[in-house]
Amino acid sequence: MPEDAPIPSFAPRPKSRAARLAQLVPMVVLLPTLITTGIYIFVFVLWNVYLSMTSSSILPVYDFAGFDAYTRLWRNPRWTTGVWNLALFGVLYILLSTAFGIFLAILMDQRVKGENLLRSIFLYPIAISFVVTGTTWQWILNPSTGLQSFVRNLGWEGFELSLITDRETAIYAVVIAAVWHASGFVMVMVLAALRGVDSDMVKAGQIDGAGMGKIYRRIILPTIWPVLISVFIILLQFAIKTFDLVLALTHGGPGISTTFPAIFVYDRLFAAGELAQGAAAAVWMLLGLVVVFLPIMALNWVIRRQKGAAS
Amino acid sequence: MELRTKLGTTVAAISITVAGAALAEPKTNVLHQWHSGANAEAINKLGEMYEAAGGQWNQTAVPGHTSNTIARLRADVISGTPPSAVQLKGPEIAEWANTGLTANMNALAEAEGWEDVVAPELVSVMRPDGEWVAVPMNIHRIDWMWASKSAMDAAGATELPKTWDEFNAIAEKMAEAGIIPVAHGGQDWIDGTLFEIVVQGISTDLYRKAFVELDLDALQGLEMQSAFDQLRLMVGWMDDAFPGRGWEEPLNMMAKGEAGFYFHGDWAIGTMNAAGYEYGVDYLCAGAPMNSGDPGYILNSDSVVFFEQTDPDFVEGQALLASTIMTPEFQKVFNVAKGSIPARMDVELGDEFNPCQRLNIKDLRAAADAGTVVRSMAHNMAVPEKFRKAMFTVISEFITSDMSSEIAARRMAESVINEY
Amino acid sequence: MTAVDTIPNLDRKKPLRPSQVLGRIALYATLTVLALFVLTPLAVIILNSIRFNDDILRESFIGWPTRMTLDNWSVAWGEACINASCTGVKPYFWASILMVVPATVISTAIGLVNGFALTKWKMPFAGFIFVAITIGVFLPPQVVLLPWAIALGWLGLSKSLVGLSLVHIIQGTCFTTLFCRNYLINLPDDLIKAARIDGAGFFRTFWKIVVPLSPPIIIVTIIWQFTFIWNEFLFAITFSSSDFRPITAALMSLNADDTGVSEYGFGSAAVLIAAIPPLVIYFLGGRYFVRGLTQGAVK
Repeated sequence: MPEDAPIPSFAPRPKSRAARLAQLVPMVVLLPTLITTGIYIFVFVLWNVYLSMTSSSILPVYDFAGFDAYTRLWRNPRWTTGVWNLALFGVLYILLSTAFGIFLAILMDQRVKGENLLRSIFLYPIAISFVVTGTTWQWILNPSTGLQSFVRNLGWEGFELSLITDRETAIYAVVIAAVWHASGFVMVMVLAALRGVDSDMVKAGQIDGAGMGKIYRRIILPTIWPVLISVFIILLQFAIKTFDLVLALTHGGPGISTTFPAIFVYDRLFAAGELAQGAAAAVWMLLGLVVVFLPIMALNWVIRRQKGAAS
Repeated sequence: MELRTKLGTTVAAISITVAGAALAEPKTNVLHQWHSGANAEAINKLGEMYEAAGGQWNQTAVPGHTSNTIARLRADVISGTPPSAVQLKGPEIAEWANTGLTANMNALAEAEGWEDVVAPELVSVMRPDGEWVAVPMNIHRIDWMWASKSAMDAAGATELPKTWDEFNAIAEKMAEAGIIPVAHGGQDWIDGTLFEIVVQGISTDLYRKAFVELDLDALQGLEMQSAFDQLRLMVGWMDDAFPGRGWEEPLNMMAKGEAGFYFHGDWAIGTMNAAGYEYGVDYLCAGAPMNSGDPGYILNSDSVVFFEQTDPDFVEGQALLASTIMTPEFQKVFNVAKGSIPARMDVELGDEFNPCQRLNIKDLRAAADAGTVVRSMAHNMAVPEKFRKAMFTVISEFITSDMSSEIAARRMAESVINEY
Repeated sequence: MTAVDTIPNLDRKKPLRPSQVLGRIALYATLTVLALFVLTPLAVIILNSIRFNDDILRESFIGWPTRMTLDNWSVAWGEACINASCTGVKPYFWASILMVVPATVISTAIGLVNGFALTKWKMPFAGFIFVAITIGVFLPPQVVLLPWAIALGWLGLSKSLVGLSLVHIIQGTCFTTLFCRNYLINLPDDLIKAARIDGAGFFRTFWKIVVPLSPPIIIVTIIWQFTFIWNEFLFAITFSSSDFRPITAALMSLNADDTGVSEYGFGSAAVLIAAIPPLVIYFLGGRYFVRGLTQGAVK
């Protein structure tokens, strides 16, 4: 697979000075990216890690204060609530988006008329910003103006939909908006993968008398597995960065019931003037991402190797 | 730090000289939180006066509460571009003065005699460590009780409650009459505002110990628990849709008679004037209930802090802005619009001021005599932002959940410890 | 689509059995319901943008316009007060365009050249660069927020169009390079080889061979970068000021929740104005986007 593909060398032995110089061109071309990315990835991250171990409060200070900031934030309910919310939201968001996406893709894969139109309809939310998504859903879910009053006006007086004003359920409002945003994207990815499924295998399965369920489970799912992993990784990205969606939708409330780690970081860095703690919280986020990520990457690698070995 | 300050002063002094020589054009860009409604109108009055005085006016408004403005300010300072003027208050002023990044306005202060005219409660805030770094724009009273005239009538109440027991009795009657007794908004600072009003009403001593000195025993003591008990009662009298509301919507609910009471600062006056609500017809006002019987007063003051600038135009602009803010004309025009009272004690409150504003100055003097004036915790006048935010977390959680008063009080203390 | 033939189960020529007819009806019914669900928020907002705010407040946020107005659009575009200055979203819209277009073009161009250099030339550090850009793609922005703030201050670029564009170009280059690398690695080497034998250098080969073969990935990259940068919020609020503020940040301020009367009418129009550019990009390029995605952008 791509990463392991050997890079062929076409260069005949450079003979002239000009030819040797020409060899340098690609390196020179890559140099700016090498430098900026190097700074951005390594210097900035290490810088942030260093700041998290200083006593910086409202202004950066370059001293050493140990890991105090890392432990202190676990006593802060805004952080622990945020972490819990992220875990709950992340699981629901990824599972539901993937489930809906696969379901939609299977439906769309039944040789549907107007496929292009339907696909555009399902895909459009992903193009829309989280700020717009959050604002729109806030309006719709707001009990006094939105869906609740709409249904009540229709005559069902007792209808109640107070998702976003109830601290216990507000997080599910965030999940709904996020799933709405991402499901179509998952559908498109999965649909494309389904189209790549070997039709001979499917036919063979049908001849053997396997039902559609079995065919999807046995033949199709294994083929689209790598795409599902890509989907998972992309959704995980969105989940961990969740910030603007929540700000627009619930502003982290009621109370702090829908706060997220990303909000905590911004809050600590700038509103509370606790630079070291904000930086430490960001490092925790990175660590959390790595912890979820590594097994996935490993799994991905194993699957690709198996596929490579099989073919 | 000291060296830096001195250096800064010298630089400022030099740049003023240079600026004078080069005939700099005074410029400013004020960072503030008044992005809408009567507040925005009030700050635009400053812009007009500033431009009339020959300055070039620019503003950056940050929506939301003071903490959002503070976030903007910190992000700007960290990225190397401190604003020339920022609306900031309370201990934050001293905190920034400590960094040595603020501008020293002593020369101007002396020339204009600020010390003699500024309300004594405010001088130490504007002049931490002997350096004027800020100028006050107004005095806001936080502990206002706004009552709907029609709701009062419906409850058969003729007089506004003076203690929390009286209040509870009237609220009960309002609920029976089908009126929402307490209007409330859904943001943490609105929660905090309500709670500090309750605490001051329970006991000024408790307020000082808990919200100014951050005394742990006071924060988790029995008195604090009784304050939470009172808050719990009031939460029961709110309607279900308060989360997600801003501060103006509950005000409208009260003024329209949909709700009985609203506890909120006097920037409400500017909004009610603009909306055409009338004192005595639509709404009534009084200081919030005080169980002690003393007059109470929770003080908040908006001020503008100046940060050192290198551009001579901006340095010149700071002096012009400070002068403009300190003129009695500005203090009058601004505060009529904003609902607060002037920070200069030598400005007479004439008919252009609302009756509630005239009551404000009377109450301030009475409370000053009784020794019950406290600085607002909820509005960044008493403790640094991180403590305020930590306590807000508990207060907001209490309001939106069914947490017991005992646990809430304990968590107030814990949240404060965790921020040390 | 050519892939139609590979779809399982259904053979076009056979007549459908009754159970299959029922199945088709259920299928279309389900798809229609789901499509309506997905469309509802957009439809509601579009309708509200031509309703009078009084009607919205009186009836419900969800409702059919009983009378129509286009004023919401002109107010949202040129008059609505955002952060105390009543300019509408116009300046912020243009600020976003000025930032997004160059940043998208530059990062895409760099990404394509990088991808070419990484896949078709023997490069030292190629592995390292691959790892670095992959990390760059996955890095939570919070981890670099503070360093960016300090660094932009040092460069004197904080709160400026150039500063924020620079952030997006540098971060975006990780995405674009990864996309292009994964696409170009599947490009037959023979083509490049032939060009090399003809004596074409790096840029000539790039221009004559790689660029003509890359429209699918270029389109994917442009769509991705454009929507990502246009929609980005965290950096937009941290690194902007009254002189330069992208539309996402302005939109949050416009709909910030502390005005007494909610202005759903022009609020909806403003929301749509902010959503239109990425939507247009998606609808224009959607088909290529899907094709390109599966041709290696996300692998």
